[in-house]
Amino acid sequence: MEPSFDVPDSTDWLDTPLSLLAPLESSLRCQVCKDFFDNPVITSCSHTFCSLCIRRCLSTEGKCPVCRSADQELKLRRNWAVQEFLETFQNARPSVLDLARKEATRLKEGDNHEPSPKKRKVEKMSSTEQVAVVQASPQHVRTRSQRVAGNASKPQPKEEEAVEVIDDSQDEEEEYIPEDGMVACPICERKMKAHAVFAHLDNCQGKMETTPPRAPAFGSLQSRTRPVEKSPGKTLDRIPAINYSLLKDNLLRKKLRELGIPDWGPRPLLQRRHTEWMNLWNANCDSKIPKTKRGLLQELDVWERTQGGNAGPSPFTSTNNNVMRKDFDAAGWSASHGDDFKRLIANARKRSEAQVRSTIPEASRSSESEPAIRPAAPGDPRLGNGISVETNQNVGSHDSLDPSS
Amino acid sequence: MGSSIAQKRLFHEYKNLSTNPPEGITAGPVSEDDMFYWEALIQGPEGTPFEGGVFAAELKFSKDYPLSPPTMKFVGGGVWHPNVYPNGTVCISILHPPGDDPNHYEHASERWSPIQSVEKILISVMSMLAEPNDESPANVEAAKMWRERRAEYEQKVRDEVRKGLGL
Repeated sequence: MEPSFDVPDSTDWLDTPLSLLAPLESSLRCQVCKDFFDNPVITSCSHTFCSLCIRRCLSTEGKCPVCRSADQELKLRRNWAVQEFLETFQNARPSVLDLARKEATRLKEGDNHEPSPKKRKVEKMSSTEQVAVVQASPQHVRTRSQRVAGNASKPQPKEEEAVEVIDDSQDEEEEYIPEDGMVACPICERKMKAHAVFAHLDNCQGKMETTPPRAPAFGSLQSRTRPVEKSPGKTLDRIPAINYSLLKDNLLRKKLRELGIPDWGPRPLLQRRHTEWMNLWNANCDSKIPKTKRGLLQELDVWERTQGGNAGPSPFTSTNNNVMRKDFDAAGWSASHGDDFKRLIANARKRSEAQVRSTIPEASRSSESEPAIRPAAPGDPRLGNGISVETNQNVGSHDSLDPSS
Repeated sequence: MGSSIAQKRLFHEYKNLSTNPPEGITAGPVSEDDMFYWEALIQGPEGTPFEGGVFAAELKFSKDYPLSPPTMKFVGGGVWHPNVYPNGTVCISILHPPGDDPNHYEHASERWSPIQSVEKILISVMSMLAEPNDESPANVEAAKMWRERRAEYEQKVRDEVRKGLGL
């Protein structure tokens, strides 16, 4: 199914001299999906997640997964700083990792075969370590500056100079503010007064035409000023949440049809499908480069096949452990397994009668195929509970349940 | 294409656990064809009657993982412990969704959240082995024994550990 298990991960750094980058990379990954942030948004409680991940969490739980404070999808705001940081990091990642890995192998080989040029390697090692240590320090600005300086020329130990370098680069990046005092929105590039940008950002519909991603080049991106062109047929209005209890089945189906998504299936599936579509759609509205509706429909199809109506009988609706779940449908279970219960009860009756008379030996019991149940039974006042649990575990070996053993 | 959020996330966790495993814990999918069924090995924590034992468990993930927690069950022999059902199923707060609390003793903060992980579950289970919670026992007998006849409880656990190791 999946091409390989080699997913990029923060642990990639661990075996390299840059192992201290692992926590840095972790902090750029969503805690829900463990992937790099995809359209990062920030909650009212200031935690950042992928737009889609947090929408799914909020629509099931209504709470922030980190601190569990209540929040609403409407209050999510895009987190551009993280987005920019992430894009630059992702851009740099392959080459930095490559370099770090080469260095790691070189160090290893150096240990094994070549004792002579060790001096140089030790030097190199210490210099990378130095960088790594500095990166761990809380003063990020200086860290970065040192790296910039290191790239530009030989590593410069003088910190004052290094700081100047970063100042320069900042100046460059801020040059995009034009003389007229107007500022371009970083997303749609529309120009407006500086104080209006932040208010606008919350509602910005993004660039309408899909430009090829030119992610890291922010300076140039922002200096281009282009009027927003609405491409026909693509609206990025968010889908509002529905109070499902107010809608009858027919109306809900109609709603799904209007949205252009499948309207088949029982009521709970309709609701779940609508919620998923709303999350997919609204998360896409947070995207810098929104997908087409067709792309989203494909994602909904994946959902349909894995969790929705086409998922097939999930092992978790039929297997044992389900009975431990708090929302386990006890009534449904006892209805479908009524025969089992009846047989169990009958067996238990027979056995207790046998005990009273203490004549019939335990010969009628089938072989004990499941020793694990044994501790369950003796004198447990919650026998009923025990039985229902065990029933699931050993469909077919109920006979071994022996309350008197 | 076609791989769900749950699958991707489980890939990440698998890789993380195999490159950087916490001490005393091994875990991964039984077969790489099915990311939703894992096996885990946990070492008995030192300084407890479980010391020296290695406990195998299976983890089953739902398709909407990590929104819902997985279930965990010890396999291949009983783990005599107040918070382990006689069939091996583990009952601890991190495996319970925060929505409901029929036992009325778990803090919401201890329960499942999508930011929890297999690693955190297994670490919690390890510390559960060391420190049972007898407020709402899954194995009443074990809980009673743990509370009232601690020496007997520890002996029984040690015996089972030895049995599990084939001694």
